[in-house]
Amino acid sequence: MEASDSGITNPDSKDTLTSSYPKPSAAASPAYSSSSLSTAAAFIRAIESGSKHLLIKRFTFRYPEQKLKFVGDGYQFDPKRGVGIAGYRGRHILYHDKCTGCQLCSIACEGIAEAIGMVKVDEKWDQNKKSIMPQIDYGKCVFCGLCVDACPFYALSMTNDYELSAFTKEHLIYTPAQLAIKPKYEGDVVLQVEDWKGSEGQDVTTTEGAKKGIRRGIKGASHGHV
Amino acid sequence: MTTIEDKIEESKKLGMQIVKESEDDRLMTLSVGPQHPGSGHFRFVIKVDGDYIVYCDPDPGYVHRGDEKMCEYRNVIQNIPHLERPVIHDSNNITYSYSLAVEELVGIEVPRRGQFIRAIASELNRQVYTLYWLAIYGIFLGHSTMFMWPAGDRELFIDLLEALTGARVTHAFNIPGGVRNDIPEGFKDRCLRNVGYFEKRLKEYEDIFYNNPLFRQRTEGVGILQKEDAIKLGVTGSVLRASGVPYDIRKVEPYDVYNEIDFNVQYMRTGDSFARSYVPFLDMKESCHIIRQLLDKMPKSGEVRAKLQPNPKGPPNEAYRRVESGRGALGYYVVSDGTPKPYRVKISVGSFRNILALPFLLVGSRMADMPSIYWSLNYWPVEADR
Amino acid sequence: MSTYPEKFRFGEFVGSIVWLVFIILILVTLIGLPLIFVVLFYAPLPPVGDQVLTPYLFLSMTVDPTRTLPIIKYFIHTDLFRIAAFPGFSYAALFAAVTIFVERKFLAKMQLRVGPLYAGKIEGIFQLLADGLKLVSKEIIVPSGADKPIFWAAPIAFVATAAAVTTLIPVAPGWVAANINVGLLAVFAILGFFPLIALLFSWASNSKYPFIGGLRALHQMIAFEIPFILSALSVVILAGSLNLTEIVNSQISSNWYILFLPISAFVFYISSLAELERIPFDLPEAESEIVAGWLTETSGMIYGLIQLGSYIKTYALAALFVVLFLGGWAGPVIFPAELTPGYTGVRIYNAITASAIFWFTIKTFGMIMLMLLPRGINPRIRIDILLHTGWYKLIVLAFINMFVALALVYGGILGPGGLLVR
Repeated sequence: MEASDSGITNPDSKDTLTSSYPKPSAAASPAYSSSSLSTAAAFIRAIESGSKHLLIKRFTFRYPEQKLKFVGDGYQFDPKRGVGIAGYRGRHILYHDKCTGCQLCSIACEGIAEAIGMVKVDEKWDQNKKSIMPQIDYGKCVFCGLCVDACPFYALSMTNDYELSAFTKEHLIYTPAQLAIKPKYEGDVVLQVEDWKGSEGQDVTTTEGAKKGIRRGIKGASHGHV
Repeated sequence: MTTIEDKIEESKKLGMQIVKESEDDRLMTLSVGPQHPGSGHFRFVIKVDGDYIVYCDPDPGYVHRGDEKMCEYRNVIQNIPHLERPVIHDSNNITYSYSLAVEELVGIEVPRRGQFIRAIASELNRQVYTLYWLAIYGIFLGHSTMFMWPAGDRELFIDLLEALTGARVTHAFNIPGGVRNDIPEGFKDRCLRNVGYFEKRLKEYEDIFYNNPLFRQRTEGVGILQKEDAIKLGVTGSVLRASGVPYDIRKVEPYDVYNEIDFNVQYMRTGDSFARSYVPFLDMKESCHIIRQLLDKMPKSGEVRAKLQPNPKGPPNEAYRRVESGRGALGYYVVSDGTPKPYRVKISVGSFRNILALPFLLVGSRMADMPSIYWSLNYWPVEADR
Repeated sequence: MSTYPEKFRFGEFVGSIVWLVFIILILVTLIGLPLIFVVLFYAPLPPVGDQVLTPYLFLSMTVDPTRTLPIIKYFIHTDLFRIAAFPGFSYAALFAAVTIFVERKFLAKMQLRVGPLYAGKIEGIFQLLADGLKLVSKEIIVPSGADKPIFWAAPIAFVATAAAVTTLIPVAPGWVAANINVGLLAVFAILGFFPLIALLFSWASNSKYPFIGGLRALHQMIAFEIPFILSALSVVILAGSLNLTEIVNSQISSNWYILFLPISAFVFYISSLAELERIPFDLPEAESEIVAGWLTETSGMIYGLIQLGSYIKTYALAALFVVLFLGGWAGPVIFPAELTPGYTGVRIYNAITASAIFWFTIKTFGMIMLMLLPRGINPRIRIDILLHTGWYKLIVLAFINMFVALALVYGGILGPGGLLVR
């Protein structure tokens, strides 16, 4: 279809209604006209592919009884080296014996979600002269972890816990005392597939098996080498 | 200032217009609006004569939230979780070109290992986005199995990205200066295993979907976009490559480590809906090879992140960098005025360019071809509206 | 049902139960008892065995279990039982309920996921009940400007027509609600109502998307009725009669007709998928193009009725396939002749009937599973390809098999006195 003169015609003008819009070109009618034998073979292959899946193990798992396992203990940040340590970004954990009340986490979050506010706590710590600690509102937190990146005292890191539902919005605001508890998360299921075999039938759990791959195209496609 | 009487007059006139149109008895105006299972967060108005569409008027803007303006109130690092939201499924690509632009402005050099990890995350995220797009393509054509299988296989990559970045979808992983953390233990073996298994699944997709005669009948020869028209309209990404133009930004302007990777640009010459749905599939196959090469060539140790001051800022300057994302060229134009917060951020997305082709392709085609043409243009409404 | 629940008070709970009992007692005394008396005074009393069934006899028989068998036997052979319970509506509805659940689990297994899981302790077995309760509690929204009498009547007509088809299908020898001599023709006559109901309902909805969907439904169902009838006609040529029981009997005396007429069976299968609006032929309900087609304005129990009618129609057409091509209830007698040897009282159990019902159920269920399979494999078809297939290709295939059937009958292989007839 030519872009210049097919375009959008104005069908409100009555005299151009039945003749102005472009008639469908030949390509719009069924152009698929290969032999019926290859059609039947393609259908049979599709049925075979679909029915094969009735016999293999399901991919999803049954959530409350089976939970996903995470590697590691949660996301942490090392201020000395200036780089993070890989882990799952779930609920925060605040170490009261390291927090100095410097507010850097709250300042970092101000531009993102404004979820951290500093509150006065009753505890007296040597390193925390003002006795303030962060409280996190999980109704606003986006779990980005930039507050963990901002803390220079190893006081804030994240854990594997993500089951944080509550019945009221007030229950979502976690006070510093609540943030000090390390959550217990028991997940033990990893991805379930029928068998870890690659496209050539090789075992992909070994390195040399996993490095083999195929390049294949279809008839009618041109692959560019630019 | 319009009074309420003026407004009533205006709506009466509009109502009369619609009545006059239906007096003709041939045309029917349909609003394929946001409340439609086949349109996403997007509205387009079509006029239908029997089974043929005669007029199409796309109406984007339903999800406009002022993302570009909000960037001016956050400093350069705080912008990352904000800017990954337009296309959250492809978050490592949309923050990639922002990071490249800011690095040019501030003058940071990213360490080599960090560049490799950024490229790996970008390729994995490309797979995630393309599989999600393929799943929705399947369900738009009524193929519920093709919705579930890619959505399930996406878990293979989301699992890897969760081990790498810490979150399943909202990664916030690329920052100006590199990436936020190093790869965990056992990641390389897991990645190779998942990618190898995924290639076997690609064979199943071909059997049940791409070679299914019913799918071919519905998409071959439908909505043909010729090569000259594609270049004139300015479409990008897989839509452009399906019309015969082998243009991929990773080859044309290689960024980071892509000039050391050997891969082919996948393109097809026919330009119909089938080609536009097959090119992302070929791209996924090629991505598997890219991931393997990246894992091989990555330096064994090194920094992943350049040291930055807490509020990075540079001299007043402007920068434009672009990246090949799942939908096409995604460019950022960042202007800084010497303060830590950028003066202006402009995002140039592939979706908004591609939707220009929609009126040209829909006019003259059947109503049943509407989902197959619309979604094959690789349009992500949230990104186009920003 | 979506409000925040108040605190539970035991006193209020007991109070509501007492109210319920009170209302039931009042209704029974004021309405129920007079109704019973009227019925018993004015209804003609049937004879059971060799006695007239008076209310006193009825009550004494129900008290003593060994003497209830004559009543049960009497009721099993009434018309009401046949229409409402066994080969009629309740049997079809039971099949429909099991089909809905099995379909969801079957498709889920093919798509590598679990399907309904949480409603009920074992694998979501109460999901259908939960869905039914949800639909009953939803508000039925009638669009303004809709044609109200037709809007309310069309879904009921849909279920009624689907149930009417099930009365014609024989499940066991002697067990059919309506044993008409032109049974097959009656089935097709009733099936011809469905396009009309779809069109009426879509027009009465007064909305654009249902209008498009209704026209598509009309085109599709009418286009596929002709190959449907033609493929069944080949069976009639071989069997020599339009009576469905006769067709099954002639298959018992020769062989299953699918061996002689495979192409007709295939055409019948494809046409029945199109009549049922199942994927790949679900254009009238195409979700991504025309929202929900002619079902767009249904909500609440109207949607529930249409789903029920759709699945009862699935059972009816699968059962029709089994009767025409797979030999109905043909199969070896696998139940023992007598449950308790040496029993001389009133007999209800009949070994031949029991095994006939067993084989029929197994075959119908297998046929329904075969009808569910394309849903996991194919995308939706487009309307011009659909009409092209229905009007050209399938009619040609049906005619080919009709000539094969004629050749078999006139060649003396089948039909009266044929070589393969026992």
